[in-house]
Amino acid sequence: MKRLVLAAGAVLLSAAQAQAPTLPLRIAEVTGEAGPCAPLAADAPAGQRAYVGLLAKRLDTEVLTCPVESAAAAAEALAAGGVDFAQLDAAAFAPVSGPARSILSARAVGDLNRLPVVVAVPRKAPAQSLADLKGASLVFGGPMKASLEVPRRALADYGASEAFFGPQMVALDYEDAASRLRAGQAQAMALHAGAWQKLCRGDQPGEDLCQDLRVVWRQRPVAGQAWAVRTDMSDDRRFRLIGIHVALHNEANSAFAWAAGEGAEEFEPTEAKALIHQGPTVGS
Amino acid sequence: MRRRSGAILAAIGLGLAGCGGEAKTTDGAWQGEMKEVRMAVRGSEDDPMITRRLTAYKTYIGKATGLPVKLYESSDYNGTIQALSSGQVDIATMAGGGYANVDAQIGDLAQPILTVRQAEGDTGYYSGLLVMADSPYRSIQDLKGKTLGYVDFNSTSGYLYPRAVMREQGIDPDTFFGRSSFAGGHTQAVMALDNGQFDATIIQAGGGDPEHGFTTGAHYTMARRGVVELADFRIIWAAGPIPNSAVVVRTDRPQPFIDAVRGAMAALPYDDPEVWRDIGQPDGAAYTAVTREHYAPIIKLRTDDIAARRSGERR
Repeated sequence: MKRLVLAAGAVLLSAAQAQAPTLPLRIAEVTGEAGPCAPLAADAPAGQRAYVGLLAKRLDTEVLTCPVESAAAAAEALAAGGVDFAQLDAAAFAPVSGPARSILSARAVGDLNRLPVVVAVPRKAPAQSLADLKGASLVFGGPMKASLEVPRRALADYGASEAFFGPQMVALDYEDAASRLRAGQAQAMALHAGAWQKLCRGDQPGEDLCQDLRVVWRQRPVAGQAWAVRTDMSDDRRFRLIGIHVALHNEANSAFAWAAGEGAEEFEPTEAKALIHQGPTVGS
Repeated sequence: MRRRSGAILAAIGLGLAGCGGEAKTTDGAWQGEMKEVRMAVRGSEDDPMITRRLTAYKTYIGKATGLPVKLYESSDYNGTIQALSSGQVDIATMAGGGYANVDAQIGDLAQPILTVRQAEGDTGYYSGLLVMADSPYRSIQDLKGKTLGYVDFNSTSGYLYPRAVMREQGIDPDTFFGRSSFAGGHTQAVMALDNGQFDATIIQAGGGDPEHGFTTGAHYTMARRGVVELADFRIIWAAGPIPNSAVVVRTDRPQPFIDAVRGAMAALPYDDPEVWRDIGQPDGAAYTAVTREHYAPIIKLRTDDIAARRSGERR
């Protein structure tokens, strides 16, 4: 009986999958003037034709471009279900952050991943949040891009630019930074999350080497631009879109150059709210 | 029985209802072709906890692909290599040397799709020559005529790569050491060294570099598990960086599967950082897409090594 039911179910499910219409992918294109979604014009730039052609082939569906007036209009169309995929900035994304989510951003040549950044203080320090660190002395975990540039950018994204803090110093590495924090030479320490993990992970089972410290802030830098979809897009389509885009620079150069824009090295996935702040910003 | 049948029918009904709506779980029919995702994992990695933690990962990939996920555990490198080469599994994570072996067997039927880029932007790790801290050995030259443990013939950092670098440095690993043998894994290599079976052993080292020291590798993981004392060991020589392990797929699987699984895995550190950490990946690291070209130097090392063995030039 169980086998029969399962077999019947498999047949029904398979038939339903085969018959399910594959929805077209409608991509918003900011042209300054709104228009109906349509197949790409034959005289479109070669890179765009390569990009749309590759998406159509890999998603096995029709790909339409949808002219919109602005990024804000693209976001509105996305929220309203008029387009499926749109490149947005923070201002355009913020009003539609409920029905939409970001899935991809373009990483510039030489840039790192959008690393999470941690700001820690001595456990007994009074600071409870980033805002409490106004004027505080800060030590960074080294001069490298991941140790200095990325934390500075993430902090600045949340309003804590260099002027927000008091004296700032750059340690030799994350261990040196922690030593300076513990010695009272700085009131707070900014590390990328990987360095924080290495600093705190002990060599003994369950050992936490940072029990004397406390994290008061942890965020990734905010993405400047990201490609967004509706949150009710199927997992299958969303992950396939991501999978196609992250390999685009290896597989189709002209399509990648068109889609990612000048100076991009590759597409990288993003969290759902990469374009907006995930906590309060502070004033400098 | 009746209740279970009802539940099964209800599940089928839900599945069908899902297919008809705007927000479908699946977009096409490739899932019907695949039916399940079969992933190879090493059962004896240096942290056995990782295999247990893979449950959450399995759930994530299952949800992303809309298919049940089966994990195939292999106790050695060759098991994973053969599982992918024979098509018993669809996808496997393996070091460059393992992929080179697969490439030699089935060529374009396998393709690396992702590797890990560390927080600092690097995509490589190192081989370390490990000795006991209380031993007299301070450099590789001190090990002339001594016993050396390798990890596995198919290990990149534990065999293939360090031997090539030794040759570049004028050391013939087949004649320089008194005796050498395979321990079978990184954990086993450290245990054998600790037990006095070898004077030195080759292991994987990461989370740093030769200048600043390392923070990851078998002896670090074992120390965190309480199996050994970190202070008992010293790394006296290192070679690298070696391209990080690859996620390798069978290319005769549906392209939508390859795209979906690549997308799901690449999105993991952003969508579910807890699971990312659970499977042993470092904070701040992420996947980046790669091709066969990324592993070309390792493939060449493997090809040269096999050719030298066949010609009798090497043991």
